[in-house]
Amino acid sequence: MYEILSQSKQRSLLTDLPDEVLQQITYYCSANDVLLNIQRLSKRFGRLASEPLLWRHHCKVEFKYWDSQHAIKAKFLGNAVDVDWKALYTYRREIDAQTTRLLNGILEAQVDRISKFRSISSFGYDAKDTLVRHCHAHEDTQDVLARRYYASAVLDHVHRSKALDLWRRVLHGEDVPIEKALGAFDLFVLHDHYGDLTEISDLFDNLLKHLRQEHPGIDDLPPRQKALTALRFLRKNNFVGLSSELAYRDLQNNFIGIALQDQDHPSLPLISVAIFCAVAQRLGLDAKCCGIPNHVHAMIIPAHGESLDDRPLREGEAQAEPMYLDPYGFDDEIPPQALRIILTQYGLRPHQFTEFMTDTDNANIILRTSRNILATVQEFRAQGTGATNTGHPTIRLHANPFADLDNAFYSALWANYMFGNPARPSEMTTQRQFIPFILERFERLYPMDASLIEEYIVPQYGITDHTSENWELREALRVVRVADQTPKQRRLRDTQAAREGVKYKVGQVFRHRRYAYMGVITGWDMECGMTSAWIAHNNVDSLSRGRQQSFYHALVEDTSIRYVAEENIEVIEPDVPVSLMSLAGKFFKRWDKENRVFVSNIQDEYPED
Amino acid sequence: MSETKIQKLTLVANDGNKIEVDRQVAEKSVLIKNMLDDLGDEQMSTEVPIPNVNDTVLKKVIEWCEHHKNDPAAPQDDDSDSRKKTTDIDEWDQKFMQVDQEMLFEIILASNYLDIKPLLDVGCKTVANMIKGKSPEEIRKTFNITNDFTPEEEEQIRRENEWAEDR
Repeated sequence: MYEILSQSKQRSLLTDLPDEVLQQITYYCSANDVLLNIQRLSKRFGRLASEPLLWRHHCKVEFKYWDSQHAIKAKFLGNAVDVDWKALYTYRREIDAQTTRLLNGILEAQVDRISKFRSISSFGYDAKDTLVRHCHAHEDTQDVLARRYYASAVLDHVHRSKALDLWRRVLHGEDVPIEKALGAFDLFVLHDHYGDLTEISDLFDNLLKHLRQEHPGIDDLPPRQKALTALRFLRKNNFVGLSSELAYRDLQNNFIGIALQDQDHPSLPLISVAIFCAVAQRLGLDAKCCGIPNHVHAMIIPAHGESLDDRPLREGEAQAEPMYLDPYGFDDEIPPQALRIILTQYGLRPHQFTEFMTDTDNANIILRTSRNILATVQEFRAQGTGATNTGHPTIRLHANPFADLDNAFYSALWANYMFGNPARPSEMTTQRQFIPFILERFERLYPMDASLIEEYIVPQYGITDHTSENWELREALRVVRVADQTPKQRRLRDTQAAREGVKYKVGQVFRHRRYAYMGVITGWDMECGMTSAWIAHNNVDSLSRGRQQSFYHALVEDTSIRYVAEENIEVIEPDVPVSLMSLAGKFFKRWDKENRVFVSNIQDEYPED
Repeated sequence: MSETKIQKLTLVANDGNKIEVDRQVAEKSVLIKNMLDDLGDEQMSTEVPIPNVNDTVLKKVIEWCEHHKNDPAAPQDDDSDSRKKTTDIDEWDQKFMQVDQEMLFEIILASNYLDIKPLLDVGCKTVANMIKGKSPEEIRKTFNITNDFTPEEEEQIRRENEWAEDR
């Protein structure tokens, strides 16, 4: 008896627990504890640690974004045992580790960055969770600004790759929902914010829930009533149109994802139509955009052999008339006659009316949006840029407005390039017009997009194409690739001239004595290193110390890089230079609060600064 | 006589000891609650045998139920799978679980048998916290687990999961 008791004292009670309880314990352990320790304990634990449900759980809670190749939604809904969840989890963890390694490589030196951007974007959306995590690097991280900046830059590149891929599918005639076709513009300015293509769809699904709650019988209505109910719901809840025409040219009015999320939901007529169509399509209506010049309308096309009013077609009526709506401005349907009058006012003849009163495809809608964006950017630039600009249009999107203005412009250039002249796809002239503009921005702002240029633009030209455009294209790529492969020349303060002549260091914040903008020094020359034309154009010789003084490269709050004479530098020591913080990561690790300077991340170039 | 609802129950442990508890406390056990609901008060004897739990453990479990008798019932949700599991344990429960291993596992077994999910969760979290950060050898030692892998088999698992180490 005593024997048995003492034996029972010694037995390992954990292993007396039934499988279901041990299984539950593994759910409370971290994935790493399970992988590295628990599954090695014994065969029984090894088996419990491989349960598909456990790894499906980790996949669900640890990762938010999945590349479309996984068709993850279907997998989560399906049978757990049909998927090797442990392998999938392992794969994502490997991608996570690789992405972090590649990002660290980008942060380490200003060389061989393009291939690292490319490698990360080849993981597609599987890299997004990791990038978002680095975008939110903790304040105390030693390279917090650089890490956030480059994580965001890589994510932007991933988003652009996704947007261009989607547009290519539109171009090849794939049936893409309108909110995605236009949501691709959002991807160019999204950064780490909410509102990618899936999230835009989720926003619409949610909107439909509200609509159905407010109008429980809507799905049983005849098409015309359905459309009008949806229209009035959207208008009543302010989901379409603008509250003030004064803000008509605001840049954000072009972005469907921003319009859905902004509490006032401002949008241009075209975006309002797209919002209406996305809702109407979810109600089972055949809703399309109708390309009335200057003011896109929505139209509801009756199903074949049916009318919009649940009545049979009349004798001799081949096809019922569509209905037209203007979600931007009106609660009621627009009589076709009113549209004919508008078309007449544009100088069109009756025989041309049908062309404009039929539905138009996504390609055309994308093109029109891109032109609206170009118009806004041009209007804004025509007013003169700079932080002092107070007039409209506003350019505020998600992040630094000047950077996002560039991003928006870039999206419009790509859209124009891809969809230019859709009526005559064989003719490349209008398309090719945009290539130099894309290349200019590629060289200055988006060198990581070399892979996208090679994928989407280079195939336009044959290898034996001897046009000057082709030469310029290949030259631009070559120059950017060579610059990317060449380590920066080290700028040492190894002479007395460099030590004493160059007064300020990389990372110094200053105000320009004449132009009053704030900037931060990102490099220096012992004397003016520009061409004589630049020197003449900028009146360098009229400076009191002329061209024989040190000159500084500087990053300015409007995102420009400028070249400043030492005598124009007025050192300032703000607590935090707020307007520079989101940009400074391009060159700097962090803001040093104590010494009130930025800490350099370009020591491969300026090792002593 | 349904208006005279039973307010007190007597739980009988497997060693015959009887413990009187408020009905509300006993109903933390879904097993007991379902039994009461199924039988109805008229059919119900106020003595409930708990054949799988001994007196010491049953007292301990009742102590927990007493303390938590006013906790709101956990929401029935099918999607608990998609939320992150935390191993945070409130202070009182932590103290409550400061028992030797044998008692800890007895509590877990009892809460599993009696279907007291929140107590089972606390027990599982406590074990998970004891495992956290320990090497396989340390865990085996802590819980007296026999390694039935061959060294080659264990080495293979280790190698397959090496990648997870740098995080």
